[in-house]
Amino acid sequence: MMNIDKLFKVAKEKGVTDIQVYQSNSNNLSINIYKGDVEKYEIAESSSLVIKGIYNNKMGTYRTEVFEDSLIDEIVDTIIASAKVIDSLDDAIIYAGDEKYEEVEGLYNQKLTDLDVAKKIELAKKLDKKFYEADSKVKHVEASYSERTNSVLLKNSKGLELNNKANASYIVGEVIVNDGEDQRTGFDVQITNDFNDYDVDKFVDEIVEDALASLGAKPVPSKNYPIVFSSLAFATLFSAFQGIFSAQSVQKGLSLLKGKLETEIGSSLVNVVDDPFMKKSSSSRSFDDEGVATKHKYLIKDGVLKTFLHDLVTAKKDGVESTGNSFGGGISPVNLKVEAGDATLEEMFNSMDSGLYITNVQGAHAGANPVSGDFSLQAAGYLIEKGKKSQPVALITVAGNFIEMLKNVETVGSKLKMTYYGITCPAIKVKSMPVSGK
Amino acid sequence: MLLEKKLIEQLLDAGLSRGADFAEVFIEDTASTVLQSLSGRLEKVNSTKSFGVGIRLAKEFNIVYGYTNSKNPEDLLKLANDLSKSFNGDKSIERTPLNELEVGKRHKAKVLPSDVSLEDKVAIMKKAYKAADEYDEAIKQVIVYLLDTEQNVLIANSEGRFVSDKRVRVRCGINAVAAKEGVMQTGHEGPGSGKGYEYLLEEINVEDYAKEAARTAVTMLNAEECPSGVMSVVMHNGFGGVIFHEACGHPLEATAVAKNASVFNGKMDKKVASDVVTAIDDGTIENAWGSANFDDEGYPQQRRVLIKDGILKSYMIDKLNGRRMNAEATGSSRRQSYKFAPTSRMSNTYIDNGKSTFDEIIADTKYGLFAKKLGGGSVNPGNGDFNFAVSEGYIIRDGKIAEPVRGASLVGNGGNILTKIDMVANNLLRARGMCGSVSGSIPADVGQPTLRVTDITVGGKRGA
Repeated sequence: MMNIDKLFKVAKEKGVTDIQVYQSNSNNLSINIYKGDVEKYEIAESSSLVIKGIYNNKMGTYRTEVFEDSLIDEIVDTIIASAKVIDSLDDAIIYAGDEKYEEVEGLYNQKLTDLDVAKKIELAKKLDKKFYEADSKVKHVEASYSERTNSVLLKNSKGLELNNKANASYIVGEVIVNDGEDQRTGFDVQITNDFNDYDVDKFVDEIVEDALASLGAKPVPSKNYPIVFSSLAFATLFSAFQGIFSAQSVQKGLSLLKGKLETEIGSSLVNVVDDPFMKKSSSSRSFDDEGVATKHKYLIKDGVLKTFLHDLVTAKKDGVESTGNSFGGGISPVNLKVEAGDATLEEMFNSMDSGLYITNVQGAHAGANPVSGDFSLQAAGYLIEKGKKSQPVALITVAGNFIEMLKNVETVGSKLKMTYYGITCPAIKVKSMPVSGK
Repeated sequence: MLLEKKLIEQLLDAGLSRGADFAEVFIEDTASTVLQSLSGRLEKVNSTKSFGVGIRLAKEFNIVYGYTNSKNPEDLLKLANDLSKSFNGDKSIERTPLNELEVGKRHKAKVLPSDVSLEDKVAIMKKAYKAADEYDEAIKQVIVYLLDTEQNVLIANSEGRFVSDKRVRVRCGINAVAAKEGVMQTGHEGPGSGKGYEYLLEEINVEDYAKEAARTAVTMLNAEECPSGVMSVVMHNGFGGVIFHEACGHPLEATAVAKNASVFNGKMDKKVASDVVTAIDDGTIENAWGSANFDDEGYPQQRRVLIKDGILKSYMIDKLNGRRMNAEATGSSRRQSYKFAPTSRMSNTYIDNGKSTFDEIIADTKYGLFAKKLGGGSVNPGNGDFNFAVSEGYIIRDGKIAEPVRGASLVGNGGNILTKIDMVANNLLRARGMCGSVSGSIPADVGQPTLRVTDITVGGKRGA
C-alpha cells in the first residue's frame, strides 16, 4: 500500500491545503452452478485508493489501483492541474469529523468468512437441484452464491480517521419455465451475512410459483386501471426516481422537487425514511464518503417532503447540515424505506372490481425521466377481477408521473420486503393509471 | 511490457498444474479521465489509473476466474495456484509455448488523451455548452461530460496466443434541459469514437451535436403526451438500432445460446426475420466505438453476418461457450476490465441497408409513430420481451410526419419483431452506446437505416 503520510507531506509541500484518502479493500467469491456442476468459480482481491485534494479552494480527484510510492508526484500534480481548470462556484470541503458516530452492529460476520467454501458450493448446488425438482416445467436454471468483504479506511489531513468493515453474501436464482406454449422467467436475490438465514426451499418455491403463475401471460386491453404494485415493482419504480431527492439535483434545477420542501408531494399515507442503521442491510453505515456521521431521517412524512439528501457542499449552499449521504462521488440514500401501512394484499385486491396487480417493472433506466417525473415502463403481473387474482398479464406498459402517482396512493400494504434494489417497501395501491396493452 | 513474459509463462504453468485444459492471463493498464461541467462551469475532473491481472482456467465446461491488482510475482503465482486447486487432478495437457508477441496494428489513435492538456479538453466542453445554451431561451441547463480512456492489454494463453492491444476511446456527452411552466424535457447527444482526440478536435464539430441535443429538448417541451396502443412504428436510423441490439443481438450471443436459453436456439440457417433484414456485427470497422484488434481472449476481431436476407447465419461465440456449442469462437469475447471473465458480446451491431428510402417509408405509413430518437432499453433474455424509450417521437398521419409526442415507450418481443419489419431504408447510420451484461459495461455501436415495424405496442400517458 501507498505511504499515506508521504502522500500528505508531498501534497502539502506542493500547495494542496487539505487532502483525504479513501482506501477500499475487497475480497470477492462467486460460485455459479449449471446443471449440477460448478460452472464458474471466481475469487478476487482488489483495492483502490481515491484521493481528493483541495488547491486554490477547488477539489481535484484521483483514483488509483496502483499503490507504488513512485506515483505520488503524479497524483499530486494531477490533483493540482485538475483544481486549476475547475471553475465551479461550489465550495471544496474536507471534513474534520463529527463528535459522535453511531455504532452499526453486525455489519461484519467473521463466521461467514470462516465458513468452509465447500459448504457454500453445497448451498449453491442445492439451490440448482431444488429448482429442477420443483416442477417439470423448469427448463433452465442459473443459480449462484456470492460473497463480498469490504474494508474501508478514510483518513484526511484534518485528523479524521474512520474505519468500516462489512461482509455480505447473496444467493441468486433465475429460472426459465416452459409449458410447451409459453416461456416465462422467474428471478430473485437474497442478501445476508448470516449463512443460517438461507431457506433454500422457500426461496426456490416462491420463484418457481411466480414463474409458473405467469405462464400464458398476455396483454390486457389498453385503458386506465387501478393498480396494486408489489414491493418489488414499487421499489423498481422508486429506484428510478430516487435521484430527485438529491440536493445536488435540486440545486442544479434537475429535480422536479425543487421548491417543494414542506409541501405535499404524496398522499398522507406516504412515509419514506432513509435509515442508515437498518438491521440486516450490508449497506448500513455510520459515516459517508466525506466522513460525515449518517443520520436517520424522514424524506417524506405523511405525504410532506421533509428534507433533501445532502453532502457537505449542497448543505453549505442551503445553510443546513449534511445529512451524511455522500457516496461514490454523488449523493444517494443508504437504506431507503417506504413505511408499512395496515392493509393486506387481499384487502387491496378486494377493493378493485377490475384492476392490475403489477409484480414486475422493466426498463426503469430508460423509460423513466427523473427530470420530468414521467415514466412509461414495461410491466407484468396479473389482472384482478372482482377482487380476485385472475389471468397473468405481460407486455403492457404503465405510464404516469412519479409525483402524481405518490399523490394517488390509496392504500399501503402491511408487509415490508427488502428488495434487491436496496429499497425496503410494502405493496402499494394507487388510483387508476393509463395502461397500454392490446 | 505490462508483465514479464517469463512470469506470464509461470502463471500459465501454475494454472495448468492440476488438470485444467486451458489457461489464460489478461493484464490491463488503463488510464481514464472524466470531466463534467454544468452550465459552462467545470465541476469535476476525475482521473483514474487502473491496473489488474485476471487469470482464467478451464477444464471442459468448468471455468475458474480470479483477479488481483497486485504486480507482485508471489501474489500472482499464489492466485494461479489457488485457482488451479479447483481442479483436483494431475496436469493433463502441455502448454503450447507463447508465440512472438503480436501487437495490434489497426484502430490507431493519432492524438492520445495523455497528449492533450486539461485546458484543451475543457475548451471542447465550453464550446459544446455555449452552442446548446444559445440554441433557445427555453434551455435552462446544459451538462457536458468528456470521457477519455486508454486501455493497454496483454493477453496470453496456454494455446500460444500472446498479443497486446491499445484501445483508445473518447466521447463527449451533451445533456440539454429545456423547461417551461414547470415542465422539463431533456435532449441528449453523445458523439464518440475509437480514436484519439483528433476525433473531437478535428473531425467533428461538437457544436452541431450540442445544438441537436438542445433541439430535441425544446421540441419535446412543446410535444403532447404520446397516445398508447398498437401501431406501426417507423424507427429512425442511428440509435434506433438499439432495438436490434436488445431484442435480437443479446439472444444471438453464445452466453444465451450455449445454454439453450435463447429464442434463436435451433434456428441456424432458418428464417428468423423478414426478407428485408440483413444484420451484421462487425468488430473490425476502422476506429469504430466497438472495434478492437483482438477480442479479450486475444483472438482477432471479426465481421460476422448474423442474419442474411432473413436467414440466421451466425451466433456470436466466445471460446469456452464454443465448447458447449461444439462451435468455433467468432472473436466475440469481451469484458469491461480485468475484473470480469470475458464472454460473448456484441461489437458494432447493425441492420444493413435496404432498398427503400426514408421518404417512401413515411409516405407509405397512414398512421403510426415516427421514433426519431430512442433512449435505452432492456430485454429479458429468457423470453425475449423488450422495452425501450422513445426520446423524440412524432405522429405519422396520412404519410406525413405530424406533431411531436413525448413519453412513449415501445414494448415487444424479440422473437417476433424481426418478422414484422416490412420496410428498410438505405440510410444506415451507427451510434454509440454502452452495453451492460455479464462481463460488464462495454462500448458498442448500434445502428440501422430507417425501418418500419408493423404492429408494436406503444405505451404513452395519453391513454388509448
